Amino acid sequence: MARPSIKDPLALTLSCRLAAHPDSRCWFVAWSPSGALLASCGGDRSVRVWGRQGENWVCQAVLGEGHQRTVRKVAWSLCGSYLASASFDATTCIWKKTPDGFECVTTLEGHENEVKSVAWSPSGSLLATCSRDKSVWIWEVDEEDEYECVSVLNSHTQDVKHVVWHPSQELLASASYDDTVKLYREEEDDWVCFTTLEGHESTVWGLAFDGAGRRLASCSDDRTVRIWSSDEQGEPGTGVACSSTEPSWKCICTLSGYHTRTIYDVAWCRLTGAVATACGDDAIRVFEEEPLAEPQHPTFALTAHMSRAHAQDVNCVAWNPAEPGLLASCSDDGEVAFWRYQRPECC
Amino acid sequence: MHRAACAMAAADSKTDLFDGILMAEERFHGEGYQDGYAEGNRIGVTEGRIYGSLHGARIGSEIGCYLGFALTWQCLLHKCTNEKHSKKLKALESLIGMIQKFPYEDPTYDKLQEDLEKIRGKFKQVSSMLNIQPDFRIGLERSVLTF
Repeated sequence: MARPSIKDPLALTLSCRLAAHPDSRCWFVAWSPSGALLASCGGDRSVRVWGRQGENWVCQAVLGEGHQRTVRKVAWSLCGSYLASASFDATTCIWKKTPDGFECVTTLEGHENEVKSVAWSPSGSLLATCSRDKSVWIWEVDEEDEYECVSVLNSHTQDVKHVVWHPSQELLASASYDDTVKLYREEEDDWVCFTTLEGHESTVWGLAFDGAGRRLASCSDDRTVRIWSSDEQGEPGTGVACSSTEPSWKCICTLSGYHTRTIYDVAWCRLTGAVATACGDDAIRVFEEEPLAEPQHPTFALTAHMSRAHAQDVNCVAWNPAEPGLLASCSDDGEVAFWRYQRPECC
Repeated sequence: MHRAACAMAAADSKTDLFDGILMAEERFHGEGYQDGYAEGNRIGVTEGRIYGSLHGARIGSEIGCYLGFALTWQCLLHKCTNEKHSKKLKALESLIGMIQKFPYEDPTYDKLQEDLEKIRGKFKQVSSMLNIQPDFRIGLERSVLTF
């Protein structure tokens, strides 16, 4: 694995640091679709929404009443007016943005125990949740904000850690403690797991599609990031479900040797293509694809490495969807940090 | 000469005698193994049969419960011709279809576990749609749906 010869120490610089969830862990951060707001959640059972005020980020809302236990993940709907929070109390809350703040409009029940992740589909009409009960649930939202379960998928054999939707298609990916990634789509009115991505040697913690949805990055307890590619030829967005040939996903690149502990999250910037990772060794790393490689055999170079980005495990990294190079991260130390990433000249 | 031959014969019979004693352990070991193997086989078959029937009964009672639940709800929802129920009815029909296709005569069916998981998933989905807690209790002591 080629390492970069020059690493620019200024590639990643801290712009702001917040004690977002003091005396507890901050588990996850999510940017609103416009990039104006950041939601964070943590072990203090709350969700906080942050907005920019000059150079600083200030807390604009605390969503404290919804959950009895740790809030593990948060997700914004594509329209930006709903926020979903997944909690260890086995429920998922849907919050609606009102002029006065956020109001819990629905609580989704059904999982037997800890809900680990939640994600909205690109159309906004579907919501996916996953849990330690090994299942992935898909919910459909109607015009009256009513949620109805359309599928319960029991494909994983262990705790499901994360769910993420394809950026343009109704295709769902899930990562699990059973070391696999599974992909789902609707077939003849029912959701099915159509592919299992095997290769990681331990728990898969995070997933991220690239902007076009042709590639998927997964990160794992085995200290590697794997890049998977759909070999489907032709235009993206033509609909995987109706294509006659089975689209197969293959691992085309493995980033190993860079991380010294579990990688908890991976984020693929839709604007710049940079890949950021959150690691249990307290560091944040950024990788970029080397321009001359073949698309089916890409190589990625480490372009930034911020050791001790946080005082403890980094749990999540998220690229701002509107502002290139703005990265948010959060950690077991309860803090949220904002970083500026500048692609180094050498690559 | 004669005496020597006699001594030889005595030695031979002595060897045979000792052989019998010395080999006895091995012989009995072998016989014991055979007997034990046969006995173990017999007990194993019985045990396997009991386990199989218990396990089968568990799956049968679980699936049967789902089927009874689904058929009852199908009947209840058919009575009211509310448009809102069409999705629920469709899900119920799907669950009933899955149960009817489930091969309970063939324990060696390789997708038995996979299909069972799909039925469980569909049952959970239907419960959620009907707004019923799937761990409802009939008796006082235990949850009926802990199979």
